[in-house]
Amino acid sequence: MADTKYLLYLSLLVLLLSGCQEQQNTPEKNTADTEKVYRHSIDGKPTSLDPIKASSVYSNLLVVNIFDTLYSYQYLARPFQLKPNLATTMPQISDDGLTYTISIKKGVKFHPHPAFKDGVGREIVAADFIYSIKRSFDPKNRASGAWLWQNKIIGLDDWKQAGADYDKDVEGLKSLDDHTIQISLLQPYPQLIYSLAMGFAAITPREVVESLGAEFGSKPIGSGPFILDQFNSEAAYLLRNPDFRQEPLDLTAEGYSAARHEGYGLEALADRSPPFLDRLEVHFINESSSRWQSFTKGSEIHYTTVPKDKQNTVLLRKDPIELHPKITSEYHHSYGMEAGFVYHGFNMADPVFGYHPDAAQNNKNKALRCAIRSAHDWQQKNRAFYFGLGTIFPGIIPPAVPEYDADLSTASIEKDLMAAKKMLADNGWQTQNLPEFEYHVTGSVLQKQFFEQMRGFLNQVGYPNQKIKYHPYPSFGNFNQAIKNREAPFFFLGWTLDYPDAENTLQLFYGPNQTPGSNNFNYQNPAFDALFEQSSTMLPSAQRTALYRQMNQMVIDDCVVISGLSRKKIHLWHKNIITFPDREIVGGFHLRFVDVQ
Amino acid sequence: MNSWWFACRKLIGGIPLLFGVTLISFTLMVYFGPDLTYELLGKNPTATAIAEVRHSLGYDQPFWHRYLMYVQQLITLDFGLSMVKDQPVTELLQGAIPVSIQLLLPGFIIGNILAILLAMKAVQNRGKWPDKTIMTFSVIGMSVSFLVIIIGCQLIFSSSYGLDLFPVRGWQVHDKNEQFSWLAYLNYVTVPTIALVLISLGYNTRFYRAVLADEVNKDHINTARAFGHSDQKIYYQLLLKNTMVPIITRTLFSIPMVIISGSLLLESYFGIPGVGLITYEAIIAGDQPVLKAIVGLTAVLFVLVLIGAEILYRLFDPRMGATQK
Repeated sequence: MADTKYLLYLSLLVLLLSGCQEQQNTPEKNTADTEKVYRHSIDGKPTSLDPIKASSVYSNLLVVNIFDTLYSYQYLARPFQLKPNLATTMPQISDDGLTYTISIKKGVKFHPHPAFKDGVGREIVAADFIYSIKRSFDPKNRASGAWLWQNKIIGLDDWKQAGADYDKDVEGLKSLDDHTIQISLLQPYPQLIYSLAMGFAAITPREVVESLGAEFGSKPIGSGPFILDQFNSEAAYLLRNPDFRQEPLDLTAEGYSAARHEGYGLEALADRSPPFLDRLEVHFINESSSRWQSFTKGSEIHYTTVPKDKQNTVLLRKDPIELHPKITSEYHHSYGMEAGFVYHGFNMADPVFGYHPDAAQNNKNKALRCAIRSAHDWQQKNRAFYFGLGTIFPGIIPPAVPEYDADLSTASIEKDLMAAKKMLADNGWQTQNLPEFEYHVTGSVLQKQFFEQMRGFLNQVGYPNQKIKYHPYPSFGNFNQAIKNREAPFFFLGWTLDYPDAENTLQLFYGPNQTPGSNNFNYQNPAFDALFEQSSTMLPSAQRTALYRQMNQMVIDDCVVISGLSRKKIHLWHKNIITFPDREIVGGFHLRFVDVQ
Repeated sequence: MNSWWFACRKLIGGIPLLFGVTLISFTLMVYFGPDLTYELLGKNPTATAIAEVRHSLGYDQPFWHRYLMYVQQLITLDFGLSMVKDQPVTELLQGAIPVSIQLLLPGFIIGNILAILLAMKAVQNRGKWPDKTIMTFSVIGMSVSFLVIIIGCQLIFSSSYGLDLFPVRGWQVHDKNEQFSWLAYLNYVTVPTIALVLISLGYNTRFYRAVLADEVNKDHINTARAFGHSDQKIYYQLLLKNTMVPIITRTLFSIPMVIISGSLLLESYFGIPGVGLITYEAIIAGDQPVLKAIVGLTAVLFVLVLIGAEILYRLFDPRMGATQK
């Protein structure tokens, strides 16, 4: 009798739990039937949404949708092409390349906020741009984008030294009138225009920033196509900016090509003014199984990149890429290469593997680096960790930039054990005298697997196991600190391009940028530096490309880096969504063009 | 009145504990926690930029100055802004703590009640098949990883590959008028609750069975049997009351964990913006204002729970009150 009673209690509990089944898949709150809601997913989390701190792709994705930048990238054109965004046209550049004059659109207003008069967003003027750039140079702000304009704009560094008083003018940043900006440079800086398309250069309203202080990063107010409604550790919810300027979409001008873009329904967007959504949700989902289940459920997130552990389910063939018919019948898909790459680097300031004051030892060290590079098997790495989809390329100019040389010798990315062993033997390296090899990374299971593979490669050229050490760090900050303090003789890193110009990767090897600067390799080559300085003021041209390629060859010849591989991403989205997703360089600009059928 | 005086005395006695906990945790944070400087730097930093970031984070202040600031923050409950998210810590926690409570409370209550009932059933049938079955399933429950249970529950109850009854992710528990909706809440909390009950049931059942089995052979139970009391009275009144001290200890001391620590895995996999995720992210990033708040509040809660537990002990076992005199 007592047994029956307990069973009854249990059944009641189960009934209570399952009682809510009837209202499964309830539409989310505040969502009327007619509302267009798009749920995007990303595999990381943004931190601050203050544009001056938008250093991650995740923060940048949201920043460019909440704020306006002067320039952005064409939605569909590849290679990436700039276009005016808040600016009316591309800038007028003086003949000496030192003065940029930019006119901005009239009547563009910030989102409403109590800090504005009557709470209504006021019109953006040229002074707002100047204020926004100055913020990156205010030491109180912990900005991470100042490197883009450091020692580039006349008077900006002096303004910072003089106490960063926003009421004081900067000689190189002028508003000629309310809608005209003039930027004066210390020397020609062809990449300036790219920097004005980055989240770091997004335009912020001074009165709101001053009223919110540092909280502005969690309560951002801009003039972009979406207004932030809610932001927590799991998602950002944005609403359509009803006052966003009317700019009918010109598909041809955005780089539409039938061969590449037909079948996605993009044609239906022509001549309509974005944004097309009432509500944009960006979900931050690190856990691949959870993301995949949410995506395949049909009523939750609409977009995902294919997680690594699902590639077997999705892919039918890799070369050329072909997706499983069940996937293509249910979802739209596209794939593209990342604008960036992964690489292994040597710290050249480390006398064991890098530069040595003794010329003979210096040559010996170089032979050791080159032998390690020859032992490295990119093909196997690609198969083991990137599902064989990555693009392997020699040197440091990745395929995503126009200066990439498809005809460059691939010797530096080919595994050649014989050559590696010969190099070691010819230079007096034997098992007994090989130095301890430390592999420095941010600790994780994946990184440990990378290490194990690297150890296997080194074993093949006679490097003994006990001399190969794994050196993990608990966080990227600690790892970065070790690199900046020159404590990591060998490291594995990735680089995401900030703009489609090889200068962005070549500057990683420019001598004056040595650590704590971006030259983590501490590579010092006067010939390289001279070419870099010469090319840094040149506009894109065949001559500049030739200089870039010379620099690339120097880095390859000196065996500073084992590079590289650009990963490929497969994008999937529901068939009722009209979009062509791509977060490389264009960041989140594409989200304003998303529509729901 | 006696209880109030007792609570006040305990509260005052908890102050050194608070200082100790905060000092130790703060020392660990400062000297062994991640250095946020190198997370926040731009791509081409200079030595000056590094010094500026360190200064803005307060890393260049003397240790004692920083610790006293922490104590002041704890007293005023104003922990400033998160170093990473540019959001006031109190606002961050005000949003996340209720979510974690809503998420974990049903599983916590159901898990404990169910475990006590199963343990009672096992003790009533010691050595027989119900006891063996319950204990076998308890061990199985203890052996399966929480992660496996979460993914399994998601697959079975939520995904399109399974029953597809509940959402995979999310926490939209308010209706169009921003009012709390019980239906929506049940929709989102059911699967995490099932997962939580499954993972905690094994541990709880074994614990409660051990406690009950220890008590069931005591003289007062035998005497009650000799008096001819019913099984129901013996087990649910006499036995249960006499085992309340360890039961209270286990349940009450779990409360700070439920409120503050949340459950990282549940929140991550079900996309729930609770405090577990915030804590994890703060630890990884070295977001000291958030960590200071969480450690400080956990310590305060433990002191309060300690006081609450001792008052309840006295209620269930008057002898404990007597020893306090």
